[in-house]
Amino acid sequence: MNFRICRPFVTLVLVFAAIPLFAHHSTTAEFDVAKKVTISGTLTKVDWVNPHIVVFLEAKANGKAEAWKFESNPPAWFRRVGVGRADFSKAIGQMVTVEANRAKDGSQYGYLLKMTYADGTSLELVSGTLADAP
Amino acid sequence: MKKTLAVIVVALVAVVALVAAQRKTSPASGGATRASDSHPDLSGTWAYTVALPPLALKRAGNGNTSVKGIDPGRAAAASVKGALPSTPEPPYKPEFLAKVKDLEEHESKTDPVFYCDKPGVPRIGPPRRIVQLANEMIFLYEDMSGDAYRVIPTDGRPHRVDANPSYYGDSVAHWEGDTLVVDARNFVEDTWFGENGYFHSDAMRVIERFWRDGANLVYQATVYDAKVLTAPWTMAPRVVKASTEALEESPKCVESDSKLLVNNDHHIQR
Repeated sequence: MNFRICRPFVTLVLVFAAIPLFAHHSTTAEFDVAKKVTISGTLTKVDWVNPHIVVFLEAKANGKAEAWKFESNPPAWFRRVGVGRADFSKAIGQMVTVEANRAKDGSQYGYLLKMTYADGTSLELVSGTLADAP
Repeated sequence: MKKTLAVIVVALVAVVALVAAQRKTSPASGGATRASDSHPDLSGTWAYTVALPPLALKRAGNGNTSVKGIDPGRAAAASVKGALPSTPEPPYKPEFLAKVKDLEEHESKTDPVFYCDKPGVPRIGPPRRIVQLANEMIFLYEDMSGDAYRVIPTDGRPHRVDANPSYYGDSVAHWEGDTLVVDARNFVEDTWFGENGYFHSDAMRVIERFWRDGANLVYQATVYDAKVLTAPWTMAPRVVKASTEALEESPKCVESDSKLLVNNDHHIQR
């Protein structure tokens, strides 16, 4: 089983919870920022759409296939931190691990905070803007 | 000898004229820049100023780690030369205050922009690109609802009489000193003119002012709507940085979160 609910990553979660989430909806209206899930599975699709990009994973739990969807920041944000669709879609068909805040309604949906690729490289949303980023 | 002197003088005059002409159309360099018709030069690419998550991206792997954040694209606007006095909230007539409050409290259900609709004027803010022609201004926008454009006459042409109401309205512009004043009207009623439920009627008219503050572009809008407001409302000015980032077509907008919202927590828009 590649799906587990982690113990809260208190520091990261508190930082994330304190940040107003841009343009579309409140984080707390949709996602449980106190609960982080880590899902490993095959990346099947990347939707580079507004207001949030969406990635699709095919995971397995107790031998059964589970389809997960994760949205993340808007395309305009990714563009401005130097990440394009290809940075995600290059891993379609490969195993990846996603860390996310899960949707409060309990569905297999979350807000992607980090994606780790099969080669160990990762992309992660962290606190900070241009002014304080190295 | 006289002939040689004349040639030198003519050459010098030509060089001075060439430099002067270049300065008139040169890009912003911290001082006032002028287009060839002596008006301030507003043309250029301007920063994307829609609020984005104040987060950075960390890349890790192969022994390397890098963090890149975003530039909000705005300069400090605490005191902007030439700005009109502004107030934080529009002065709605008393009979509309409850409606505004209700729209604001349920904005994840009532805000058209939440559902990928066009923000309209002035909510779309300053354009990403301005093309300044002798008789027109061309505004190009990047927006998740679709990349809008506006073609605005500056040569005294009146408003169109045959135009249908639209999200970005019908605009004409003129210069008041060094400020471009855009008069936009004939809007559909579907938009809000700001976050927090700022609805309007079909009578809305928006006066947008654009001017240069050194290398930056300043944008300030005043909303007129005698049907719903007790007085015109002037927003705080926005000081926008110049940008070298090319415009890019915005990906389509697909709203899929509304069914997952479990409360009415406020979201941040523009």
